[in-house]
Amino acid sequence: MTSSAVITVSDAGIRFRRNHKGRRSFKDLFSTKARRSKPNEFWALQHVSFDVHPGEAIGVVGRNGQGKSTLLKLVANVLIPDEGAINVNAGVAPLIEITGGFVDDLTVRDNVFLTAGLHGMTRDQVAAKFDDIIEFAEIEDFLDTPYKHLSSGMKVRLAFSVVTSLEEPVLLVDEVLAVGDKAFKNKCYSRIEEMLTEGRTLFFVSHNERDLERFCTRGLYLDKGALKLDASIGEVLAAYNEDYPGL
Amino acid sequence: MSASVEQSPYQRSAFARYRHALWLLTRRDLKVRYSTSALGYIWSVLDPLIMSGIYWFIFTQVFQRAAGTEPYIVFLLAGLLPWMWFNGAVSDSTRAFLKSAKLVRSTAIPRSIWVASIVLGKGIEFIFALPVLALFAVIAGAQLSWEVVYFPLAIILQAILTFGIGLIVAPLVVFFRDLERAIKLVLRFLFYASPIIYAFGDLPAAIQPWAAFNPLAGIFDLYRAAFFPEELNWAVVGVSATMSVVILALGLWVFKRAERSVLKEI
Repeated sequence: MTSSAVITVSDAGIRFRRNHKGRRSFKDLFSTKARRSKPNEFWALQHVSFDVHPGEAIGVVGRNGQGKSTLLKLVANVLIPDEGAINVNAGVAPLIEITGGFVDDLTVRDNVFLTAGLHGMTRDQVAAKFDDIIEFAEIEDFLDTPYKHLSSGMKVRLAFSVVTSLEEPVLLVDEVLAVGDKAFKNKCYSRIEEMLTEGRTLFFVSHNERDLERFCTRGLYLDKGALKLDASIGEVLAAYNEDYPGL
Repeated sequence: MSASVEQSPYQRSAFARYRHALWLLTRRDLKVRYSTSALGYIWSVLDPLIMSGIYWFIFTQVFQRAAGTEPYIVFLLAGLLPWMWFNGAVSDSTRAFLKSAKLVRSTAIPRSIWVASIVLGKGIEFIFALPVLALFAVIAGAQLSWEVVYFPLAIILQAILTFGIGLIVAPLVVFFRDLERAIKLVLRFLFYASPIIYAFGDLPAAIQPWAAFNPLAGIFDLYRAAFFPEELNWAVVGVSATMSVVILALGLWVFKRAERSVLKEI
């Protein structure tokens, strides 16, 4: 691995409409990078710049609605910035809306091949990892059950297992660890730690300070759509607690 | 393939990834369609068959038909089967993003795949329905001409056209939901405006130059050349081919411009 940045975010910004009922014109739809902000729009993120080097573990901190998930989605390339640029020079395994990718009517087996495949794994690669994925998710007995009949806990376990099995250098985690029972949570934690020691890059969104301190070395503090502080996780959490005491 | 186990997905070419994801999604759609219904394949041929039966009855038994060519049932099917592909793909692409919104929001595959997989899936169903056409051709005693070699060309042109229209329709429907119903109406109009139950040459001469701008006209002509080569009009085919390519270019442009807004909206 070289020490050059794996993720480069330069002056990135994205804006959303404030009310969904607002009238849209064809002109709005096709405007690409108009810098001016329209009255019914707001910038969810603006002027955000930072570099991430391979192997870094970054915790994203901020109150609800300050752009944490949006930042993650930009890095995952499921949103496109309105200004600035985001370059990701490596494959990304996104734990975002994780259970959304599965198809209700297909079996667990089909779903594993489908989702892993959509994230870029070949059939052989999935086949080689299939048993591990199922074992980690603890759903050996439900291989041919349609996905819709799984319990919600099983769904999350399966999703976590599939996405963390992708051999991608960057892992994005968006508050998914809040779900699942304690035993599985611990399993997830050790899986993430394992991946970190392998040298993966982690991008972690959480409200849980213990988790953030456990995994992350560096913190990004987002407030009101801006990157307020980019420092070690300890400093970032201190600044956050100072701004919002008692939260 | 065994050597690829160590290869990171990231290292494969963009084209290989596109093809891979496209095929996965197309297979998913076909699998869901066929695993959740008992009759499966039958459904994809039943609709054009019944439609052909109805038109055949009305136009050969009830009215004295002055349009189309004998054997009329083969003539009908040769137009209706590709129409089913076009109609199915365009109306499904109105829901391309809405239906799989969660997947679109969580997977970073090129977004045009959502449209392409619909066109491909419906295209595969069309290919699977072709034996029905062959069967009726044999029963009705239609003569197969050497012009059947134009069949693949017609398929390519139709794929280009349908993909182009899908690329325009799919993102726009996300913003203007009314468009979904408008498209249904336009498709119904287009059914009668296209040479499906009649031949292009049956149209009044005054209308023909305008009707040629319907890209489906030349495409259906090409399909029908397999059995009715005398109706092949290369000028019409030429207009169709040009229109198809223009529509695809327009579709790619619209899609590219609207993509950013679509991702925010769904």
